[in-house]
Formats: sequence, C-alpha cells, structure tokens
Amino acid sequence: MNNRCSILDGFITGNAVLSGFMVISPIIVCGNTIMNSLALIYAFSAITFLSVTIGSFIPKKLSFGFKTIIHAVIASLVYIPVKMAAEEFFPGVIERIGIYFMLVAVNSIIVVQSQTKFHNMTKGKMTVSLICHILGFDVVMLVISAVRELLAYGTFCGRIVDADMFISGLGMPFGGFILLGLACGLYRSIVPSVKNDDIAGGGSNVSDF
Amino acid sequence: MQNKIKSQRFIWIDIMLTLLALVTMEYFYYGARTLALSGICVSVSFVAEIISLRLMKRKFTADDLTCISDSLILCLMLPAVMDYTIASIACVFAVVVAKNIFGGRKNMIFSPTAAAYVFLLTSWKSQVLMFSEPHVHTGIFENAEHLVSSASHGFNTSGRMNYTDFEILMGNVSGPAGAVSILLLAVAAVILILRRDISFGAFAGTVIGTAFLAFFVPVCNNQWDSLKYTFSTNMVLFAAIYIISDRRIAPKRNYYAFFYGFFIATFSYILVITTGKENVIVILSVLFAPVSLGFRNLENQIDTLVKEEKDAEDLWEAIKSGEFEIPEAEEVLTDE
Repeated sequence: MNNRCSILDGFITGNAVLSGFMVISPIIVCGNTIMNSLALIYAFSAITFLSVTIGSFIPKKLSFGFKTIIHAVIASLVYIPVKMAAEEFFPGVIERIGIYFMLVAVNSIIVVQSQTKFHNMTKGKMTVSLICHILGFDVVMLVISAVRELLAYGTFCGRIVDADMFISGLGMPFGGFILLGLACGLYRSIVPSVKNDDIAGGGSNVSDF
Repeated sequence: MQNKIKSQRFIWIDIMLTLLALVTMEYFYYGARTLALSGICVSVSFVAEIISLRLMKRKFTADDLTCISDSLILCLMLPAVMDYTIASIACVFAVVVAKNIFGGRKNMIFSPTAAAYVFLLTSWKSQVLMFSEPHVHTGIFENAEHLVSSASHGFNTSGRMNYTDFEILMGNVSGPAGAVSILLLAVAAVILILRRDISFGAFAGTVIGTAFLAFFVPVCNNQWDSLKYTFSTNMVLFAAIYIISDRRIAPKRNYYAFFYGFFIATFSYILVITTGKENVIVILSVLFAPVSLGFRNLENQIDTLVKEEKDAEDLWEAIKSGEFEIPEAEEVLTDE
C-alpha cells in the first residue's frame, strides 16, 4: 500500500506545483487561457516524459554534475521536435508563450528530480510515478488557467461566457501568483499528509524558474 | 503591555474619527450613495476578517477592528458611484489576500488598502478613475450617467486646474471625495500627528519630498501653483496620512521613516511628471514595501545590538562595584 502511495503521490500528496512549488512560473505568467495551458501541458508532458525516460539509461556511476549536463542536453534535443509539432498543433500560441515554452525544457523534474528520485526506482515504477507527476502538473495548470480565463476575460476555451463582471487583474502575472498561492494554501489545508519536507526539502524541490 | 494594547485601539478610534469626518464631507457632495458604499465596504471587510481569522484559527479581538478603518480608507479613494460588487471584491482582497495571507495585522508587509487599490486599478481602471461631479447626487440603486475624469487627470495632462483655491480647499472638485477634501485632510493630519497616531517621520518625508520637487521642478509655470496643485491632486496628502504614515507599515524611528516617505514622494513625483499617471503615490507605497521592511529589519538589528551593549555595560558595572563576583576557575571545576 505504501509502495503504491509513493508511486502515485506525484498526483496528489507530492504534487509538483502545489506541494513542491516547481514549474510555477509558466502557470503564473502564461497560464491565463486554456489554449496557452494546453500548449504548455503538451510541451511539459512530452519533454519531461521523454527526457526522463531516455535519461534513465545514463550510467549511474557518472558524477551528479555530469549527469545533470547530459539531462539538459537530452531535454534540449527532445525540445526541437516537440516545438516543431507544437507549431502545427497550436499555431500562434507558441509565440504568445515566448520564452516560457523553452524554459519548460529545463524544469527541475528533468534536471534534478530525475536523478534524486526517478532513476532510483525500477523502470516500471519510474514510469508510473513520472506519469503521476506530469498529470499533477497538467491538472493544476488546466484548472488554474480555466479559472483565470473565466474570471479575467469572461471566456472558456476562447468562447464567450455570459458573465457580468471580469477581474482582468487575474489575467496578469500578479493575479496568477495570487491565485496559485491561494490554491497552494487550500491544498495544504485539504491534504494534511503533505510533509514539510516537500516544501523545504532542499535543492531538489526548490522551484527552478 | 496593557497600555500598548490600549494605545493601538486608541489609534484606531482617532483614525476612525477623522475618516468619519471625510465620509460626512463625501455625503455632503455626493449624497446617500456614499453612505451605502461605505456601509457595504465596512460590512464586507468585517465579515471577511471574521471568516479569515476563523479559518486561521485565531480569535477576533478589538485590534482586528482595523479592518473597518482600512475599508473606509479604501472607500474614500473610490468614486461615489462605484459598483458595489467591485468595491466588495476589493475589500475582500484587502483583508484576505493583502493582510491575512501574509500573517495578519502583526505581520503586515504593505498597506492592505493600497494593495486593494492597485488591484482595482489593474482590473477595473475605467470604473476607478471616472467620477461624478460634486453635488450630483446619485441614488443608492441608480447608476451614474455622466461621469468625468478627475481633476488630477486634468492637472497631470495639462498642468492646469480650473478650480478656485476655495474649491480645492473644500474638495469641491471631481475626484475621490475623501482624497480631495484638502482642508479636512490637513486638520486630520495635524490631529493624528499630535496624538501620535501616524508616523510623523514618514509624513514629513512625504510632504518635504513632494514640496521640494514641486517647487524646484515645477509642473506648471508658477512654482507656487505647482506646489499647491501637487498637494491637492493625485491623492498625495491622503496617501501621506493614511497609507505611507500608517504605523503598522512605516519604520518605527522617525529618522528612517522620513527617508521611507521621502523616497516614495520623490519617485512618485518623477513618475507623475514623466508618465502623467494618476495616483502613482498609492502604487509606489506598495512597491516600496521592501524599503520599509529593510528599515524595520535594520531597526531590529540596532535594537538588539544596543541591548547587548547595555547588558555588557551593566555586567561590567556590577563587577566593578563588587555586586557580582567572577567565580574562580577552581570553584567552577569543583562545582562541575
């Protein structure tokens, strides 16, 4: 049971965004519409899954710093086809997201957690845990961006919703920061099993951008 | 301790009295709608404070009544014809997001009122900066038809004001009623300073900084006009009293508080003459929160060092006078 929990914790108790405060800047800055969030979800999911999976074949005996460089190189290589595909799937959105689309390629799950966490598991467990971590990010990104789009612009997926009042400040980065902060507080009050270690757990859990 | 608690409550009462005077003036110019708006703001803030404190598992005490004065300050910065829902959202934002999320009244980083006003400016700029003319009374459930931009906007863009000195003094100009009643604000400033309810250093720094620049880098041709209009527009005096000089935010020592106010005044004046934005001083009071925090940390470090030095001096005096004997090394070893 505990083993299963530890694999699935990336989705709820060990959520990368709400618990570890990782990869928060794309959510804060670009997660103001669902279309933006879908593009970022696609990029994050594809790059993270492929990079960590490919990175698991790196020999463990190499030094931490050297492995970090190799992971960054792998993520950069994976980024190229992912971006080409994204331009087909989400025309116009990638330009809007700007540098945050590129920054997804060097998120802390790939660069740090892959070595400290995922590559210490068996291949099967690693895959399940990685998917849970990615889904944890995806769900938070989608929910936050849906709420922001609805409240800030009065639209849902680009379609106008019958709303009387818009809080356009929520569409700005500071609005995203406040909303994400509230979501983190709510999450910590609802999920009591979140360990303090997840917040102050050293370098591996500190947000990278 | 008891005296300290009492003084905090007396500060709140003094501030409330001055604010009620401004609300009365607002009622005179804009009618019953201002009272309804104030009532709604106060009620919403009060309920938000109680609920958020309950969620934080804290008790509501008389000191938490500051949420009422904060909401009144915010209300006085808004147009009398402001939408009730928007004003309510701003009040909830001030209490919950700008104050209690950061740890409540004992850990305030910036003025909740100023933060809520900036939030309003970013979300509903057109509603916040459009006003009805003085003496145009709007019904409690009516929407205003003819709105105009504020006198501050006219001054920032043209460098002129088409009002007499008496009108400016009495607040008979378009703008947020609480922030343009210059005579009442001046009286409120004197009362609050004499009763030590606001930080004199921060207030003096803001006033001197603004006056210095307004006189030597005038907005209009006449230096005295520049001085006069600069103080009566852009909520300068109002922000200097109720936001920048707020004892909960400003540095404790007048020396540091002076520079805190001076920096805000200087930068806001430069921004006003370069960009023409309205009420920049309120925005800058939020942005300068780290300066205040830095000064407060410095004050704490100085206090700690002074206390340590005093303890060391006391110990040395005690040793010299023979009240305290240094144990011999042998005695210490024997005790161990």
